[in-house]
This record gives sequence, structure tokens and C-alpha cells, in this order.
Amino acid sequence: MTQEHPALALRGLAKRFDTKVAVAGVDLDVPAGSFYGLLGPNGAGKTTTLSMAVGLLRPDAGQARVLGYDVWADPVRAKGLLGVMPDGVRLFDRLSGAELLAYHGLLRGMDPAVVEQRAAELLDVLALTDAGRTLVVDYSAGMKKKIGLACALLHGPRLLVLDEPFEAVDPVSAALIRDILHRYVTGGGTVVFSSHVMEVVERLCSHVAILADGTIKRVGTLGQVRGDRSLEEVFVEVVGGRTATGEELSWLSR
Amino acid sequence: MAVPVTEPAAPAAPAGPARRVAAPHFVRLKLRVLGNNFRGQSWRIALFVVGVLVGLWFATGGFFALAAPGLAGEPRYALLTAAFGGGLLVLGWLLLPLVFFGVDETLDPARFALLPLTRRTLVTGLFAAALVSVPVLTTLVAVSGLVVTAGALGGWSAGLVAVAGVAAGLLLCVAAARAVTSAFATMLRSRRVRDLAAVLLAVVAALLGPLQIAVLAAVRQADWDRLTGVARVIGWTPFGAPWTAGIDVAEGRVWAGPVKLLITVLTIGALLLWWSRSLESAMVGAASAGPARDRRGPAGGAVAQLFPRAVGWARRDRFGALVARECRYWWRDARRRANLITIAVVGVFVPVMVNLGGSRLATDGGQAFGEATADSSPVLVSLSMLFVGVLASVTLANQFGFDGSAYAANVVAGVPGRLELRARMTAFSLYVVPILGVVAVVLATLLEHPAWLGVMAGALLAAYGSGLAINAFVSVLGAYALPETSNPFAMNTGAGVAKSFLTLLSMVASAAAAVPMVVAAALLGDLWLWLALPVGVAHGLGAALLGSYLAGDVLDRRQPELLAAVTPRR
Repeated sequence: MTQEHPALALRGLAKRFDTKVAVAGVDLDVPAGSFYGLLGPNGAGKTTTLSMAVGLLRPDAGQARVLGYDVWADPVRAKGLLGVMPDGVRLFDRLSGAELLAYHGLLRGMDPAVVEQRAAELLDVLALTDAGRTLVVDYSAGMKKKIGLACALLHGPRLLVLDEPFEAVDPVSAALIRDILHRYVTGGGTVVFSSHVMEVVERLCSHVAILADGTIKRVGTLGQVRGDRSLEEVFVEVVGGRTATGEELSWLSR
Repeated sequence: MAVPVTEPAAPAAPAGPARRVAAPHFVRLKLRVLGNNFRGQSWRIALFVVGVLVGLWFATGGFFALAAPGLAGEPRYALLTAAFGGGLLVLGWLLLPLVFFGVDETLDPARFALLPLTRRTLVTGLFAAALVSVPVLTTLVAVSGLVVTAGALGGWSAGLVAVAGVAAGLLLCVAAARAVTSAFATMLRSRRVRDLAAVLLAVVAALLGPLQIAVLAAVRQADWDRLTGVARVIGWTPFGAPWTAGIDVAEGRVWAGPVKLLITVLTIGALLLWWSRSLESAMVGAASAGPARDRRGPAGGAVAQLFPRAVGWARRDRFGALVARECRYWWRDARRRANLITIAVVGVFVPVMVNLGGSRLATDGGQAFGEATADSSPVLVSLSMLFVGVLASVTLANQFGFDGSAYAANVVAGVPGRLELRARMTAFSLYVVPILGVVAVVLATLLEHPAWLGVMAGALLAAYGSGLAINAFVSVLGAYALPETSNPFAMNTGAGVAKSFLTLLSMVASAAAAVPMVVAAALLGDLWLWLALPVGVAHGLGAALLGSYLAGDVLDRRQPELLAAVTPRR
């Protein structure tokens, strides 16, 4: 039955913090099997939207459905299909990489033998085996992203939601993460990730949505959104940035 | 705490004459941060106001106690109240932050690491900022009673010396609190000396024992000459010097006033120097908890590594994983470890003091040693055990705050609330129940009443279990974010009052839930010696299970809200 449903469907999601409206009614359909990029400048509401979509932040209004299951009404079913890598959230970082994976796997109700096997494989592929029993808190930023991704992948979710997966990652690790995500999508999974790096989005995504000021400004396949221009041009036009005239900040050049 | 540091601490660009950064900037910055924290959070303001009012209530009591000798014109009590009252105050400032309350780290030293400030500027600035707090205000109100006493007994000159003394004494209190917590934080951070730190903490707590015994002895015998002698000695230590300076002048020893002020100032200087030493390591070492330990190569698979040997019995499922992770955290997280050490130290020493305090006294008084333990009784023992059990469980009052935003992993995985709470209680109990057992055995041995072991263990477990239940609710409903610093004693602004309130509330409620154990000890006599242990175990276990059952429901409904509450604002 899940084939008829989009992998992720957001309807009218809204959230305000005190007086500031962070997300003002987001509607989004992420087709199953797509590689979906959520683009937006800093403070556009990307993290808030994704947090509400995966059950980390209660929305003021609206619905989020994962393959047809309501994240807020039927969290157990929905969360079982989800793999999440939040940004700006700590991991249980006083565990070693292997311990952290075991924790996540068992928490998802997986069989210990399967956890052992998959954890070893993931650590190997992500080149984290050398870290041995180093605690995750002592990992580098890129290693933390990789172990976070491993935790999200471990239980074989149908939908992967990643917040800024390429932030602070070196090119080698980024290439590795890209390859893994590609294989995941080829194998029938769906990926939604947020970013503000155009190159990555242009290279990876089949679909794109541009979010600014808490609303979706453009949405569609990469070709539809981009047209015959570069994605960056479209993005700057939609978001509406300012350019330095050269007059201000003159004290910088001395 | 990401406050735009626009005006005060931001140094002017290297170009042009840089404006000097001084203490007032830090004070203004702290006030600004405090104000911003209150913005739009009416419950925080309400808590703050209530905290101030309660503080002032106690402060007024202290004021009249310290002013009484002057108001009543009883010069012979003046020195006593000043030396003992003031000494206790300093001791409180020294120990309470370590044991209970933590220090307000609104201005986290680590945030200043990148600014071109000399260590001297930084220490004086942070010190000045530390003076802007409710406890300092209340202490000031209380000790100004000493000025009244000195003024009433010795006129203007004595009053003025007392003003200087009281001000210096207040500075001493704050400097002592800062220096000691900072030093202990450094020690607990470093893996090499953290055990030494635990021992030191124990020694510090042990110092309370002789002091209490001395005070009790003095009060009992009411030997004023001897007491005055003790007070005079205390008056020449940093504990009493600032408070007694004015009294000395009033009593005609004019030369003593300046000398005592000098003692105080030198002590403050030494404390600030000490503080500035450990401050440096707090600024630099904030990023990491130290170098990776000697870690042997992978032993067994991932799951085998997660489970410590003590949790080997647990099934390899969700519950087991939660327990194993919590167990690892109670040891690896400096903040949690500090709490465990506190439980162990306070848990052993307080009951020993309460129950043996009287008996040593009896031997002091020259009575036969056989009667020495006559002071203690099953009721008194049960009461002190109640305190220890409640104290141990109150550590969990903000158990989700320890996790911070990492708790998101459990929310994403959709861990049921009851399972979560039961696992957390189990993991904590794996550490605490053995500690409680040691407490009971040590005390029974010291009291030479092995037969009371059951009563003690019963009261301990009943209080501990009730506490677990109450704190399950408190931790779900009253969670707050802990700052992400490496100082295990640090708290967020405004959290101080909230924390104290929640702690008090949950301690009172837990104690009330376990009071039947004390009543039974008083009413049932010898029968209770046999019944106490099974009843206590059943009481504690039942309460804990019921608590996790009911609070688990609340948790299920509040998971995202709880996550938001424990995520530090950045």
C-alpha cells in the first residue's frame, strides 16, 4: 500500500517561536524513490521544518505523513520507517562509534546479531574502524557526521531525513557520503536533505524545493526549478540577497 | 547564551587606541544576559521573584540574629555570634556549591578565550559579575546585622570598621566559592586526578564532623569562657576575621581591626590567584574532555562493547541498551560522576555525624564508653537514612538535562516513556544501591548495633524508591537545560532558583512518602527490626514501579516538549 503514498507528505506545517514565525505553512510531497534537496538560506526554517516532519518538534498546525503514516498520530509506525540525522544535535557522544551503533540498533528493536554485522560493515565502509574505541566526543566534525549517518542507516529505513549532511565534511568524506546515499536511493530508498550548497544539490538531487522566510518559494524536479539557468542564479533571485557596493567596509583593505 | 557581545567585552579593533575593558563591562554583560534570559518567559520571572523573596526572608532572620547582641546590648554574645555565624556562612559558601547548588556560570569563562584580555582583567571582571547575584544580596542583608551590632556597641568607628569587614567578608565568600568549584571542576575533568578529587571532597566533608561536634559540645556545656576562646581563635582565621573586625574595635582592641581586614584581603587575593590558575584550564579545555584514553582494540562486536560487565545479565534488547548506555554515562560524563561522588561522600558522612555526634560528646564528658551510643535510636537512624535515600534519588531530578539534545535519538526512535524511565532507574540503581548498602553497613558497624542493619537498609531503600518515583515526574515536567561547558558545577542563569526549588520540592515529597518507615520504627519497637527490610524493599520497589508507570504516560505525551526543554539555547 505504501507505494501509493509519497515517502513524505507535509501539509500546512507551521511553527512560531514567541513572536517570530519560523515556518508559515509548508506543503511538500516527496515522491518515493526521489532524492530531494531542501534549499534555503540560513534561518529559512529548514531545520524547523525537518524537525517537525520527523517528530522532534511539535508543530503549531499541520500534518506530516511518512509513507502514509501520520508522524504525530501514529508515531510508532512512522518512526519505524524513518532514519534521521539531525543537525546541531549532539549524539550520545560519550560512547565509542561501535557502542553508539549498537545502542541505536537495539533501540530500534533489531536483532543483536544483525546489529553486530551491520555495525561492523558500516564502520568499515565509512572508514571509522581505525577510530577503535575512541569516544565520539573526540571524533572530528566529519567523523561525527559519518557516524550520525551510520546511526540513521543502521535499521534500513525507507525514508532518510538528513539535516545538513555535508556541513563541515571534507571532500573525501563527502564523496563517500554521496556514494552511499546514491546506492541507497538506487536501492529504492528516499532521501530528503537540507543544504545551502548549490553544487551538491545540483549534482545529487532529482527534486528541489527552495525555502525562504518559512514558506516554499519554488518546488519541482531539478529541471523544472532550474530551467535553463544555474541553480545558484535561481536561488539568489528567489531569496533576494544584496550585493556589496564596495563603499562600505572600506577599512578592510589597508 | 549566544549574546551579541556588541558593546562591552568586544575589544576595539587593533586600530586606534583600544578602550580599556574593566569590571563594569562584565557586570553590565551579566545583567544583559540575565535580562535576555527573562524575556518572554514569565514563569522564569515569577520563579526568580519568589526566589528573591524567600532569600530575603531568610536574610532578614539572619540579620536579626546577627544584630541581636547589639540591639539587646549584650556585648558578651557579640563576638560569639560574629565568629560562629560568620564562620558558618563562609563554610556554607565554600561547600554548598560543591554539594548542592552549583555555581551560576552565566558568563562562561570559555567564551572569553578568544578575546585579548589579560588574565587579571578577566578574573576581576568575572569576580565582579559573580557579585551580582541573589545569594550575594541575601548574604549582604544578613551580615549587615553585624554592622548594627558593632555600631551599637562601639559607636561610629566600630561601625565603619564593621562595614569594611562585612564587605570584605562577602568578597571572601564569593571568591572562595568560585575558586573551590573551579578547582574541583578542573580536577574532575582531568582523568588522572579525578579520584584524588573525590578523596579531597571526602576530606572536606569530613571536616564538617569535628566542627559539628565542637559546636554541639559547646552548646551542651554552655561553657561561655571556653566558647569565647574558640570564637576568638576562629576570629583570627579567614573564616571569622572579616566578621569580628568591627566587634574587636567595639571592644577596645582597635589594633585588631586593621590586622583582621588585612588577613581577609590577603585571603581574597590568594583565592583569586588560585581561581585564575584553574580558570585558564577551564578556558582552554572546554572543547574536549581530555585526550582519548588508552583504548584496547575492539573486543567483540558492537553490541558486546556497549554492555559493561555489570550489565552483562541484561537482555540484548531496547531495555538492555538503555540501561547499558546509562551505565556508561554515569561513569563517563563528568557531571554525572560528580553527582555520584557527592552521594557517596555525603551519604556516608552525614549519618555518621548525626548519629555519632552525640556519642563522642558523651565520651568527651567523661562518661563510660558503654553508654556512648545511647543517643542514637532506630528512629534517629531511620531519619538520617531517609535523608540519604532522598538525597541519592534527587540526583535524577533533571536526568534528561544531563543528556541535553542527545535525547533526540530516543525521541526519533520512539522509545516508550515507561521503558525509558524504568531503564534509567535501573542503571542509576546499579551504582547507588551498592553505595547505600555500604552506608548502612558502615553506620551499623560504627554504632555497634548490627541488629539495626535491617532498619537502616529498609528506610534507605524505601526513601530511595519513593524518591525515584517523585523524581521521575520532576524530571519529565521540570526539566531544564544544563550549559554545555566542562564545569560539572555550572548552571544556567535563572536555573539556580528553579533548580533549588525543584530539588527542595522533590526532596520534601520523597521524604513524606517514606515517613511511614520512621513512624513504624518509633511505634513497632523490636518487631520492626525484622520487618523493616522486607517492608522497605517492597515500599521502595513498588513506589519506583508505580512512578515509572504513571510518569511514563506523561513522558509519552511530552517527548518533543521535553527535548526542547533540555536543549541548550545557543
